[in-house]
Amino acid sequence: MTITRRDVLLGATATAALMPLAARAQTSEVVIGVIYPFSGGSAQQGIDAQKAYETALEVINKDTDFDLPLAKGEGLPGLGGAKVRLVFADHQADPQKGRAEAERLITQEKVSAIIGTYQSAVAVTVSQICERYQIPFVSADNSSPSLHRRGLKYYFRASPHDEMYSAAMFDFFDAMKKKGTKIETLALFHEDTIFGTDSGNAQAKIAGERGYKIVSDIKYRANSPSLSAEVQQLKTANADVLMPSSYTTDGILLVKTMAELGYKPNAIVAQDAGFSEKALYDAVGDKLEGVISRGTFSLDLAQKRPMVGKINEMFKAKSGKDLNDLTSRQFMGLIILADAINRAKSADGEKIRDALAATDIPGEQTIMPWKRVKFDEMGQNNDADPVLLQYRGGKFVTVFPPQAAIAEATWPMK
Amino acid sequence: MGEDAVTAQAIIQSLASGLLMGLLYGLIAVGLALIFGLMDVVNFAHGEFLMIAMYATFFLFAFFAIDPLLSAPLVAAALFIFGAVVYLLIVRFAMRAKANAGMVQIFSTFGLAIVMRGLAQFFFTPDYRSIPQSWLGGKTVSVAGIFLPEPQLIGALVSIAAFAGLYFFINRTDFGRALEATREDPGAVALVGIDKNRVFALGWGLGAALVGLAGAIMAVFFYIYPDVGASFALIAYVTVALGGFGSVFGAFAGGIVVGLVEAVTALVLPPSLKSVGIYAVYLLVVFIRPRGLFGSM
Repeated sequence: MTITRRDVLLGATATAALMPLAARAQTSEVVIGVIYPFSGGSAQQGIDAQKAYETALEVINKDTDFDLPLAKGEGLPGLGGAKVRLVFADHQADPQKGRAEAERLITQEKVSAIIGTYQSAVAVTVSQICERYQIPFVSADNSSPSLHRRGLKYYFRASPHDEMYSAAMFDFFDAMKKKGTKIETLALFHEDTIFGTDSGNAQAKIAGERGYKIVSDIKYRANSPSLSAEVQQLKTANADVLMPSSYTTDGILLVKTMAELGYKPNAIVAQDAGFSEKALYDAVGDKLEGVISRGTFSLDLAQKRPMVGKINEMFKAKSGKDLNDLTSRQFMGLIILADAINRAKSADGEKIRDALAATDIPGEQTIMPWKRVKFDEMGQNNDADPVLLQYRGGKFVTVFPPQAAIAEATWPMK
Repeated sequence: MGEDAVTAQAIIQSLASGLLMGLLYGLIAVGLALIFGLMDVVNFAHGEFLMIAMYATFFLFAFFAIDPLLSAPLVAAALFIFGAVVYLLIVRFAMRAKANAGMVQIFSTFGLAIVMRGLAQFFFTPDYRSIPQSWLGGKTVSVAGIFLPEPQLIGALVSIAAFAGLYFFINRTDFGRALEATREDPGAVALVGIDKNRVFALGWGLGAALVGLAGAIMAVFFYIYPDVGASFALIAYVTVALGGFGSVFGAFAGGIVVGLVEAVTALVLPPSLKSVGIYAVYLLVVFIRPRGLFGSM
């Protein structure tokens, strides 16, 4: 048989047409499991988180010009331009459902890594399952300090934990005292799951070390129908600072009940959660002028780092909300995870784990006010500096630490 | 902290808050007691009825700027229709089950609860809503250093008025008598020409209207989201069991007891354990008087 020029051309065209297909078949996509509450009492956090992850996905999979890992170019260059695909799973704020869903994601959906979970209590079980299957778990927005101290090899948290947050609060108190503000007594008010308990313990410990007196330490039942008795005790104690660790529902009821029982604390310094949620300020924002909450994120940063504002616009187009403390950490969590997968050049759990452990991203290449992203041997990033934000005239202003602050704190609150 | 902080004033404040909440608990629970007393059916969607009432109040406020105080009768009327429809479309058929009738009834109302929560999440989103400004919201009456929040105060008065009205209604009207008769012997009333289904539907309507009234008042001072009914429903079940299953006025007394016990427990135990007091009292009642304080079974 003779080979004509036409045949050669046809063959070449066919090969050319098939080549990208072959390349795609090799590393077409990397699947990441995203596990959040999408139904039940905290479903809104799951829905907001989904929008944050979809924003991060757009940055990773599409060509954007941000100074973030993987922003430029499409997909993961280390894997031949493979795209990241997210599979969302609903844990309903239930640790047991979280365990089952994590197992399903790994065995059925074949995910290469899991990211989650909002509630720290669920992160406990999800990370155990990940450890067993040797799949990395990125704890995007959990803040319980006990999480990274369980000797897990596959656990990573880029954001601060509640001891770091609480330490920042006490650094702030120390600084205010130096300026002559009277801060001697504290009232702790925390809910009874792992988040509130760990937070309360951390605050009590640091208060003891630094010589602050805790005049009231109230652990309350989450989603209580009434907080009258609790607020009555807070009022009687009348501490210089009230320090709540509450999710949104209890936060709203706390502030309403305080107004009803005529309790007006000098200052409130909150452990984030409900106190960074729009719903809380929509409900009782008029009573919270001057409240201070810890955070990892502030839109102020857009003044120094314009991409923060642009990414916020992308997120806002999807969710109708500004990025907040939670959604910014979720966004960053996926970027960090995808960067590790890209460097691992593999969808294999163990290789991704090693790449995560070698992560070193300078703070300027994030949307956070952090020094850098670098994990210690327990998977915790100790260079994630928290900030304190004060709610003023309907928005948050960074007031601490001095290098990130754009204004002095107003004390006492109005 | 400790004993010295628990002053007389703090105790009186706790008791007052407990009493006001207790009267509201009673109003939330009475619909449950009424329906159970009438036809031995426990409405597991009771908390979701409360949730729907709160949303109705919220939307009437958000879209038509109707204050919860004015919309309360509207919400109660809407819930009346809703309750009657639930009976006619669901419970009526569940009661026809030949085998395992009790289970069928439980699953039908329990299923309804899940559907209602799901629909609420789908249509209203799981976001937390609340009514930021209203005539009563955030206002407080202060008597000798004791703070009585106006929403709860008005709620307590509405609760007392509702129970008084209910007492009059059951004892002095034809329908009330028909209700009592049907409850005593549904078979016999058919012989004297009372339509059992009609009475049951009206009973469900009335029960739902009462929880609707409670929901409208709660919307003033509580946050609203699809799962809001759950914790109140649990208290309602205990209230009804404490007061005596099926006893309408047992629910009134039960509500007050629950509110006071909750407040007192929080004074002596860590607040995270305050529901322990409620269940302890309930256990005590179960041991000493299993039919409940006012039960007549």
